[in-house]
Amino acid sequence: MRTNWIIVFSALAVTYSCKPKKIESDWNSGEANMAAYVAIGGSSTGGYMHDALTYEGQQNSLAAILGSQFEMVGGSPMVHPSVASSSIGWSLTGASVLELGFKTDCNGTTSLSPVRTGPTGDATILNNIYSATNRNFGVPFISSIRLNDAAYGDPSNGGHNPYFARMASSPSASMVSDLSARDMTFCSVQIGTDEVMDYARKGASTGSLVPASGPAGAGFDGSVQQIMDIIESKGAKAVVATIPDVMSAPYFTTIPFDGLDLDAESVETLNQIYNPIGINFVIGKNAFMIEDPDAGVFGVRQMVPGELILLNVPLDSVKCYKMGSVFPFRDEFILTNSEQQEIRAKTEEYNQVLVNMANSKGFAVVREDYFYKSISTGIVYNGVSLNAQFVSGGAYSLDGLRLNPRGNALLANEYIRAINKKYNARIPYADPIKYEGIVFP
Amino acid sequence: MNATQLKKIFLLFLTSGVYTALFSQGYQVNFQGQKQQGMASAGTALPQDASTVFFNPGAASFIEKGSVEIAMTPVFGNTLFEEDSTGVTGRTNSPMGKPFSVYALFRNKKVEALSYGIGVYTPFGSTIQYEDGWVGRFALTRLELMSIFVQPTISYQLNDKFGIGAGFVYCIGRVNLQKDIPVLDQTGEYSHAELSASASGMGVNAGVYFKASEKLSFGLTYRSKVTMGVADGSAEFTVPEALASNFPNGSFSSELPLPQVITLGAAIIANENLSIAADINYIGWSAYDTLAFDYVNNTESLEDTRSARNYENTFAFRLGGQYKLSDLLSVRLGLAYGMTPVQNGYVTPETPDADRISYTGGLSLNLHEHFDIDLSLLYTHVKRWDHNIETNLTGKYTTKVVAPGFALRYKF
Repeated sequence: MRTNWIIVFSALAVTYSCKPKKIESDWNSGEANMAAYVAIGGSSTGGYMHDALTYEGQQNSLAAILGSQFEMVGGSPMVHPSVASSSIGWSLTGASVLELGFKTDCNGTTSLSPVRTGPTGDATILNNIYSATNRNFGVPFISSIRLNDAAYGDPSNGGHNPYFARMASSPSASMVSDLSARDMTFCSVQIGTDEVMDYARKGASTGSLVPASGPAGAGFDGSVQQIMDIIESKGAKAVVATIPDVMSAPYFTTIPFDGLDLDAESVETLNQIYNPIGINFVIGKNAFMIEDPDAGVFGVRQMVPGELILLNVPLDSVKCYKMGSVFPFRDEFILTNSEQQEIRAKTEEYNQVLVNMANSKGFAVVREDYFYKSISTGIVYNGVSLNAQFVSGGAYSLDGLRLNPRGNALLANEYIRAINKKYNARIPYADPIKYEGIVFP
Repeated sequence: MNATQLKKIFLLFLTSGVYTALFSQGYQVNFQGQKQQGMASAGTALPQDASTVFFNPGAASFIEKGSVEIAMTPVFGNTLFEEDSTGVTGRTNSPMGKPFSVYALFRNKKVEALSYGIGVYTPFGSTIQYEDGWVGRFALTRLELMSIFVQPTISYQLNDKFGIGAGFVYCIGRVNLQKDIPVLDQTGEYSHAELSASASGMGVNAGVYFKASEKLSFGLTYRSKVTMGVADGSAEFTVPEALASNFPNGSFSSELPLPQVITLGAAIIANENLSIAADINYIGWSAYDTLAFDYVNNTESLEDTRSARNYENTFAFRLGGQYKLSDLLSVRLGLAYGMTPVQNGYVTPETPDADRISYTGGLSLNLHEHFDIDLSLLYTHVKRWDHNIETNLTGKYTTKVVAPGFALRYKF
């Protein structure tokens, strides 16, 4: 027995004595100071994902992820305008957050699909919870020209932003006035993405994109300049994000333009309708029909390659009630090639503004556009494949427009890369694997 | 020690079933003889005991006495992975490795120049297990690779100077590979894949021995490649219910090459107390080109996989000496330098491998006319930084290995 114990003991001794030691890393923030980090931006910064603002989303927001990495180099914990952790969230349309569940379509087929967690959203999260300690100024649907609009956070004003109203210091406060009152040593600035996305997600059918150039409140550059000036006046440093090609998101790329799959009977019906105006259908794949005022006297035509059908189309209407064929898609459900060109051109102009402005202030630039492009071609992170496929791609949230926690962590790492380079810092990257992807039932 | 005890120990070895590599290039295990292990596993030209059945079948007939021996080398290996970008670390908590060997060598009673032998040993294997939730969990969580070679051997002494010999190798093995799948269920658990299979293969171990003089000898051996084929492995997936049809449990096929090893050795018997042995191994690792899994039930989520390994042929250089202090005690020291077969970009958590120097020592106790004991100890420390081109896992692997071994031998 005694011998056995000696063997066990020496085995343990050997095991522990031969463990490799970890060398402690000298993480540091270089020329930047992360003591008071303020996050300024839109949906990703604020934590809007799965089409709602929730506590979970806030905890996995760009602001939260960057904040917790900055804590390792002298930052203090991020403070959010917190939603209650039990809340089912509130989307801009008043709905609750999405989760992956099962849905039965008009054909009686049940399949995996994003579903709402409750019948309506939790409007109580819109109650004002202003706190002078808030450091997450991520406002979903933020618009550049309204950064200094005193009505932007006023619930009695029809055009207000409810997500700003809930965190504003008073109904007449604006982003500019509230930010001016904040102490800050470092900022992340992510402006432009939300307004471009908002325009695109409605099929470029309502509103317009603001001019790249113009005074504060009218043009993109003048408006953004106000934020940059506040940061500079505080002696703070910053990282400024460019705007991605929002149309690389699964919301725009999931439904193929030629996904109209027809049998002989449907072909006959459709040809009776459309042959007179020179449109012919065949058995199998066909391009969907859309409304287009410029397309001849009837204002309808078939889609052409490159054109996008958006995920806001009522899919049951497409599957069972001939939307997209007998009843052409309305403008709000599609992005034509010219609409896409307009959005891309504007994105490029805005990015020029952002990059120039950041350079002139000596701020770091994070190329979100490059990042989203790499996601759309697909990446592998520590053995995990991620791409821009709806649900299965693993990077986007269930709204198909905004990233999920893992996507945000990957994006946060791009911010850190840019900061490290610009300010000679060694801030540790977040571990995206620790952040949730898509949860399956 | 009586026969029952011997049998018990023997069974213990055979059923232990866990054999760790991590202390040699690739998944090769160089623990086939305790005397040789004390001398950095050199000994192709220095026949000393029944383990010569493995080290050089051509030299076995030069051993005067018949003997039976069993040996085991408990292996304590620890790997630390440090990810560059996040500073996140992951450690292994692999079980103790238990490579073993059993040899028997008999002289033919009528034909003096003829010897028969049998060897059972574990020249390839690896068990590596990473702690729960480690950063590379989607590349690998656990790999258990086990092989047992059984080698009946015949050795013939042509004259005072030359000996030839060959053994037929039959190999059985088992592999179990596990990793997490990046799909979360509602309890926050990741999905998991487990591939397990048994395999078998055949090969040869042949050698020649040339005793140039009383002071100088040479050996050359060829151990052939053995391809371990898996025809009907079992693939099991633990996934959320909604994805069960995407990851059907079922069968898979695969194969793993255990590469050929060509060894040239020399030994100098300086005097009756001091001998020195040197071996050069040339290992045909380029046979391990691709690790492929072919699933019988493919789905959109479960496609056949082909992972490039692109191993390169390598050399290992081994130098050892032994000194006989008294009739009772001999001591040994050795130094080995092994080149890694794993190219930059291809380092995986399965074999976090690098060029390495191994330090060894050992001793023998000649307790009785019929009975002796060998002890050996190996230490090695391996560092490798890599960016894997398949998984993009990027960081530094540090491995420390201590392997104390022992052999019990009965001579007749």
